[in-house]
Amino acid sequence: MKSLRALKKEFLNALRVGWFLAVRQIRRSSKGTTALIIFIMMLTFLNLVAVSGLLVGLIEGSFQQFREGYSGEVIITAAPGKDYIENSPALINFLSSHPRVRAISPRHTLGMQVLGTLTDLPKKNERPNRMGAQITGIDPYKEEDVTRFSRFLKYGENLRPGEEGGILIGANLIKKYSSFADANIPGLDLLQDVDVGSKVRLSATRKNGEVVAKDLIVRGIVKSKVDQVSTRLFVLDSELERFLAVNQEQYQEIALKTDPDYAMALVQETTNFMGSYSARIQTSEQAIPSFLRDVASTFNILGNALSSIALVVASITIFIVIFINAVTKRKFIGIMKGIGISPRAVQFSYVFQTLFYGLMGSAAGLLVTFAALKPFFAAHPIDFPFSDGILVATPEGAVIRAGILLVVTLIAGFMPAKMIVKKNTLDSILGR
Amino acid sequence: MIKTHKLVKSYGKGELELIVLKSLDLEITDGEFVAVIGPSGAGKSTLLYQLSLLDEPTSGEVYFDNTKTSAMTQAEKTALRLNKMGYVFQDYALLPELNAVENIALPMLMQGLSFGAAMQKADAALARIGVGDKARNLPSQLSGGQQQRVAIARAIAHNPQILFADEPTANLDSANSRLVLQAFLDLHKDGQTIVMVTHEEEYANQASRVISLKDGFVISDKKRDPPRQYHASLSTRLGRGSL
Repeated sequence: MKSLRALKKEFLNALRVGWFLAVRQIRRSSKGTTALIIFIMMLTFLNLVAVSGLLVGLIEGSFQQFREGYSGEVIITAAPGKDYIENSPALINFLSSHPRVRAISPRHTLGMQVLGTLTDLPKKNERPNRMGAQITGIDPYKEEDVTRFSRFLKYGENLRPGEEGGILIGANLIKKYSSFADANIPGLDLLQDVDVGSKVRLSATRKNGEVVAKDLIVRGIVKSKVDQVSTRLFVLDSELERFLAVNQEQYQEIALKTDPDYAMALVQETTNFMGSYSARIQTSEQAIPSFLRDVASTFNILGNALSSIALVVASITIFIVIFINAVTKRKFIGIMKGIGISPRAVQFSYVFQTLFYGLMGSAAGLLVTFAALKPFFAAHPIDFPFSDGILVATPEGAVIRAGILLVVTLIAGFMPAKMIVKKNTLDSILGR
Repeated sequence: MIKTHKLVKSYGKGELELIVLKSLDLEITDGEFVAVIGPSGAGKSTLLYQLSLLDEPTSGEVYFDNTKTSAMTQAEKTALRLNKMGYVFQDYALLPELNAVENIALPMLMQGLSFGAAMQKADAALARIGVGDKARNLPSQLSGGQQQRVAIARAIAHNPQILFADEPTANLDSANSRLVLQAFLDLHKDGQTIVMVTHEEEYANQASRVISLKDGFVISDKKRDPPRQYHASLSTRLGRGSL
């Protein structure tokens, strides 16, 4: 029996000879073949990272838009069963003086009826050109700081502080601009013949039962993939005060901008300040509708399933590549064994070659992902109806996938090498 | 050094069985230069494969330094080939991705020599065999004769006890064949044990012992004093009588 030390020495020497052989085999093999193998490995890596990244990115894109276009990093809304956020002024003071809060936009949000085209009122037996919608009173400057609201304006002009009688309408409320215009959805009545410059009539019922109405001119149409923008009406907060006498102390929504990493801590601090019964205080992620989170989980599972298939394809690819490589060099493998090179050293030489292909393919894949694909999709998101799809790929996740790919390719490379090396030495030499 | 006892090698089974070696008893001692000759199908190469442990006998035994080789594992046989044997193949069998000096250094690296030491010894072996200027050439950049000389250098650079050569001149022209044979004569003069299979009687007659095989039997086994120099020009080129 050999001592452990002798076995270790043999193992290390086989590693050394395997490395010696692998370096020379890679250096002196066909550059075209090497480039092709690395290219295949790179595609496999991209398949692992990009396919699942894009699937998750569809939903992640909608999360991002929800945060950037509506909620900010933290959104405070009225507590369940309450009409407004209690003690709003104190809360706004607290948040305005908080060093980590970068911007704050309090909003009044109420349900209202809107009647379009006052010049073309319905005749007898005709349905009125009317629909119910939420109206949001905003301060354009504060809203700009939190959501860059002006970017949503597709037609017309933005509301100007101090002016009177203007309104912005979400595109999905107007038949001409709505994404749902062609859908035959029972009960969905969109405003017809309403455009920039049209006059619309808002009507609401005050708490005392009094019905109030006001005519406003459509200043612009806002459009976004965030429902809270595309399906709402927007007026100046001062307009809403004049119309409905909403209370400055009774806001329905407060959106905040802070560092994303600090959002959870800010929620906790604000909850401590307000108490959990006064308002619903959530991070953007918490405020996202649960069905979207379910879709994200499903896409994640789907992405992982596709990645698993990609891994199997990668392992088969590298198995075939190494198998063909080893079979074509079977005679030389036999000769090496014939002159006393240990089978283990030959196997190591193939493992090192596989490692090289895997590393180079992963490195190229990482480069393409982070230097090309991710910036490209960030600049040119995929236009999906409900989101702008981005590529979600974190360095940590990509490195983990590269690691998995390497392990799989090492196994896939080792197996054919072992199969060929195990063949009878003389048969290999003589090509029998 | 090497002894066979009732060595039998056959291929196939039943009616298709072909017995190539028929109960051979041979003994090769240190310092001999043995040439094995015979017509095609006589069993020359098969005998060489048995002696060099590249193949296993159907029955009988091969002893190396009085050790039964049938009891050895494949790993032990590989180690024995590495440390005690050298092998020159008919078609040179140089590894195409390694240059001349790397081909020679490979067995020494496997023996555990440092990279620098192995390359240094390989360089010296190449220089001695007259192709020192081709050290960094790949096999594809060498002529047949140069490749075979590199193969000889690879086979003897790690100082094996015995050198096996399987038709080493079969693929060479007569000038290169003589150079190769002279190399063997020089090695033998230095005490190297050599077993060479050849079908060329002219070259076999240079050996110290000639074993003739026919149909799996030894039909003659003659010892003689070989000439010390076959080709003067190689000896001159080598500068001395050894590799």
